[in-house]
Amino acid sequence: MLTATKPQDAAAVLADPDTAAGLRDLAEHLAPLLQTRRLHNVVDLLSATSDFIDMADDQLTQKLAKAFEEVVWAGWSAGNALRSASATAADSEPPTLWQLSRQLNDPEVRRGLFFVIQLLGAVGRQVALEAEIPEDD
Amino acid sequence: MKKRIVIVGGGIGGTMTANNMVSKLGVEIRRNQVEVMLISNSPWHYYKPAFMYVAFDMYHKAELRRKQATLLRPEVRFVVDEVEAFEFSASRLHTRSGAHYDYDYLVVSTGCLPAPERIEGLAEAGDHFYQFEPARRLAQKLRTIERGRIFITVTFPKTPDVPHQCGIAPIETTLMVDELLRRRGVRDRVEILYTYPSVSQLLRNCLFMQKQTCEVLPQIFSDRDIHFKRGFTLERVDPDARVAHSSEGDSEDFDILMSTPPIRAVDAVINSGVSEAAEDEGWLPTNRRSLQLKGHPNVYCMGDTVDLPISKAGGSCHNQSPVIIDNIAFDLRQGATPAVYDGRVQAIAQMGLEAGMPLWYDYDQDVQPTPPTKVGGLMRKTFNRGVYWATARGLV
Ligand SMILES: Cc1cc2nc3c(=O)[nH]c(=O)nc-3n(C[C@H](O)[C@H](O)[C@H](O)COP(=O)(O)OP(=O)(O)OC[C@H]3O[C@@H](n4cnc5c(N)ncnc54)[C@H](O)[C@@H]3O)c2cc1C
Repeated sequence: MLTATKPQDAAAVLADPDTAAGLRDLAEHLAPLLQTRRLHNVVDLLSATSDFIDMADDQLTQKLAKAFEEVVWAGWSAGNALRSASATAADSEPPTLWQLSRQLNDPEVRRGLFFVIQLLGAVGRQVALEAEIPEDD
Repeated sequence: MKKRIVIVGGGIGGTMTANNMVSKLGVEIRRNQVEVMLISNSPWHYYKPAFMYVAFDMYHKAELRRKQATLLRPEVRFVVDEVEAFEFSASRLHTRSGAHYDYDYLVVSTGCLPAPERIEGLAEAGDHFYQFEPARRLAQKLRTIERGRIFITVTFPKTPDVPHQCGIAPIETTLMVDELLRRRGVRDRVEILYTYPSVSQLLRNCLFMQKQTCEVLPQIFSDRDIHFKRGFTLERVDPDARVAHSSEGDSEDFDILMSTPPIRAVDAVINSGVSEAAEDEGWLPTNRRSLQLKGHPNVYCMGDTVDLPISKAGGSCHNQSPVIIDNIAFDLRQGATPAVYDGRVQAIAQMGLEAGMPLWYDYDQDVQPTPPTKVGGLMRKTFNRGVYWATARGLV
């Protein structure tokens, strides 16, 4: 059993017949990867992972975790809106143009429209940034 | 007739259950046959484990809470109100605003409350990190202590075989205190004394509530020059003399008394009168397999408010929630409740400020302690800041 504090004596671990049997199995399993040098890629990957772990600090984890939450939040809220809108749209008769325009009396519909217009504005502003190519200096 | 499922408590248990319930019962909800309602007494959802980090100046308030409504799927009807009385036999509950709600199924996830006032002198002289403001006060002390003694005590509920909240928290915070004081350069002038009561659930004279972890702790503590003592059950604190007295007849002085205080269920649960717990602690008598309230099969209990021998932890809620949802969905559709909770809990313990130790256990199998690692620490930090909110939204 592993313990949090006391590593087992390495010699005893190696002398253990279970360790030897496990290593033999592992060698067999790894042989194709070893013989074709493909194991090197896995080792390189491990070493890159290990570098990343060494480099990761509190600030990095905070940023990554926040990015994760923001991306998940965006996908989740968009999914929620899509699900609820499509359920209502699918379960009702298609509205007449008059009924459709009456939907604008609903302040939340107007808020949604306002949101879409704002979103278009923000997209437009970002697109404009792309358009400006500064002069070479 | 439309069936109503009411979930009380917008903490981690109630929130993930509401979200996953509407997902599971999507068809019935769309056909208007079922309504899922969440009643909570706060418009905010707090990530409670972060209070522990507040005590070490590692978290701002805005980072550890979200507006409850933003965590819920739109199919959940959310009501901010406090349940004042449960009438389990009438399947009805009453709220502070004067409203009452009848239900077909009820899920109670109202958590527990620290109750330092249950030990004489503890509220005045002790500190803890189980709520935001007390954790801030403790942070102020840990930030400024220059010399003296930090004394750590753990109090278990008086109800037999019920644990205190988040079993590993006292060890986590003891190791964090050690590391913080080392960073501050005052560790050699501040003694840390960790104590544990004579009775911890089924164990006697240990340093932790599970035997294998208890066995590795002396080494972990000695390596860090943390002093420890078994058999100290906090009975009374003398705030003027700054001395803690145990029911075993021992006394210890302190400069900071960092306690895991007594806990209890919330008032509405205690007042429901169904609890068999000692000292009016109020734990709900819960069927350990189906999670139904004993004698009331349309009521389910989860999280910190149950009387089970399992950790009062978010990791327990995460495993209890699918069982409850499955049982309610099966009962609605087929009149049976086949899902069974095996007592599973998983967590990543924060071992000091940087390292972490993933762990899991259930009714039959205790935690197998493994060496804490930086990878474990990174997993915990990512969970704290990001994955938790996805879990609450029912995505993980
Ligand atoms: C410092 C600390 C560290 C922790 N560390 C960990 C950890 O590392 N891992 C882990 O898994 N767990 C940890 N926990 C435990 C975890 O936070 C709890 O077990 C979990 O929050 C319990 O969930 P719950 O839904 O039962 O109750 P809670 O999350 O406490 O939620 C209860 C909700 O009910 C509401 N409520 C209460 N009474 C009423 C009423 N009468 N009417 C309406 N609403 C009401 C409350 O406002 C609250 O929203 C820790 C806890 C603390 C305090």
